[in-house]
Amino acid sequence: MSKKVIIHRLATGVPGLDAILGGGLPELSFNLIVGPPGSGKTTLAHQIMFALATKEKPALFFTVLGEPPLKMLRYQQQFSFFDLDKVNESIRFVNLSDDFVTGNFDQVLARITREVENVSPALVFVDSFRSIMLEARHQPAGTISPQQFVQQFGIMLSSWQATTFLIGEYEAESEHHPVYTVADGLLSLEQSVYRNSMVRKIQVLKMRGQATSPGMHTFRITSPGVEIFPAPIVRRDTVDGPITSRPLRSKTRVAMGVPRLDEMLGGGLPSGYSLLVAGPSGSGKTILATAFLAEGVRRGEPGVIVAFEQTPSHSWVRTLDDLIRAGQIGLINTRSLDLSIDEIVQHLTDLIFQMKATRVVIDSLSGFELAVAPAFRDDFRESLFRMFAVLSNLGVTVLMTSELEDRYIDLRFSPYGSAFLTDAIIVQRYIEVESHLQRVMAVVKVRASVHSTEIRRFEITEEGIVIGDPVLDYEGILGGQPTRVKVSSPAEGGKP
Amino acid sequence: MPTTDSELRREAIRRTLARRAGGTPDASSVAKATLGIWHQVSARLAPVIGARGVDALFSRSLQLTSAAFPWLAIIGENMESADLLANIETRLAWREPETALEVSYTLLVTFTELMATLIGESLTGRLLDPVWVPPSPASEKEAGS
Repeated sequence: MSKKVIIHRLATGVPGLDAILGGGLPELSFNLIVGPPGSGKTTLAHQIMFALATKEKPALFFTVLGEPPLKMLRYQQQFSFFDLDKVNESIRFVNLSDDFVTGNFDQVLARITREVENVSPALVFVDSFRSIMLEARHQPAGTISPQQFVQQFGIMLSSWQATTFLIGEYEAESEHHPVYTVADGLLSLEQSVYRNSMVRKIQVLKMRGQATSPGMHTFRITSPGVEIFPAPIVRRDTVDGPITSRPLRSKTRVAMGVPRLDEMLGGGLPSGYSLLVAGPSGSGKTILATAFLAEGVRRGEPGVIVAFEQTPSHSWVRTLDDLIRAGQIGLINTRSLDLSIDEIVQHLTDLIFQMKATRVVIDSLSGFELAVAPAFRDDFRESLFRMFAVLSNLGVTVLMTSELEDRYIDLRFSPYGSAFLTDAIIVQRYIEVESHLQRVMAVVKVRASVHSTEIRRFEITEEGIVIGDPVLDYEGILGGQPTRVKVSSPAEGGKP
Repeated sequence: MPTTDSELRREAIRRTLARRAGGTPDASSVAKATLGIWHQVSARLAPVIGARGVDALFSRSLQLTSAAFPWLAIIGENMESADLLANIETRLAWREPETALEVSYTLLVTFTELMATLIGESLTGRLLDPVWVPPSPASEKEAGS
């Protein structure tokens, strides 16, 4: 039997935080929460505190200079996690500013010790740490230095049997503080403003004894508090997801809900595939996506749509609206311009689980790129790749639309080079025939499957997409200016 | 019948002042009672918002109250709150008992309402309710009838 110490992990009550910490916060750890002003340090600390504090395991929150406590209480109580019943019950606020002004560090330590001994808290917070360091400069000579203070404080912390947090602003790199070495956990928050959008990020720089999720994770602060969107990890198909156990790429095919399209795809879209529908504005991509979802509902396969575009109220859009309202299709609708892809993926994953969805529509990648904060646009392709990986792991069949400039000199499917990421591609185009615009559609690719290579005309009617016969009477269609060819077959005038 | 939080607190303040000053109080016992209550308020608040936070709120309440009672205005700012309180005690003791009671009441109400606008009724209640004398069973019965 193992006699090793077992470290309990506390659930922090901050959505997503436990995941990036690698399973929660180690009990009795000494943690630092650092970041510039306004990055959400105090909010994060409060949220953790209100989640964890109980009568049996009370919390002490020391405020030091920094933010006036009255202001802090005024603003923090706006968050729904701020439970007034816990104040002075399981949570005690203690202001130390007077001790700092009047006394020296020895006195401050004594005061902290006294309070801790009185309450025997399970959680101790000190906000903010930087004020202590700044105050240290005004300390009279002969008293203990900030370094000593931190060291002594660290020693005290370890003897209290409490999970502790120091909250502070990051000092300049030059001042490499011993406290960073002493700490068991180091959470770094930042906010970056780029053009007109603001993005918050959190990073676990250190957490002793557990495997954290590396890298930056975006988070958002709304009225329920902090919500973190862990960057999806592209799972290796080894231990936790053996390829054989995934019924994802089964031989089953998914019906598209557009007559004759399944036939073009070689019998429907293989389930678990991702399909890119590329075409110019107004070519009927959203209608195709709607048909795909509606067909799913008809067959008892729930769907989810991530909509980034305003759609006018057409009859087929009303179908979609009705399905959404009836709860048969989940909707993620967003027009904010400061999203991270991880945030979308988080919402999407939650919704897919909740709806038990097997069909997902992203309409459109172009809108998606606009909605993503400019700071993330450089990594857009990379993030798309991660998103595809997550969706593919879930086994859902995905349809994405992508707006395509109608260029007749080259054949492109997406502006992001995302075409190679998808398993299947349908391209839609306009052609000019006798001074009229007509629509054509072709299946460009269906990975590992036979499919039609015909270019077919189609029309959009009140009932949806109606696919016609192959265009045999014209050539040069992809060049945009087809010329009539003589055909002997009766398919001539193969009007849809 | 008081119903809102702030009405209930006003009642509680009046009750507490009356209880602590005694049956038919003279001005000096009102002044003493006032000081006692302030010390309690300050003792409960200072740990949470800091002594300077309490001082700032107190000075502001004093300024607001002295609009109605100009003799309360303290000349010479930047007094320590202890000196300020001692000063007020002296001033109250010189007045008619009713006036002293009214001023003391107004000052406390102003202070608590100022706090409530900053941190909300509930939190103000949580922090300060233990200071007030609870309604006696008799008056409760009265209120219930």
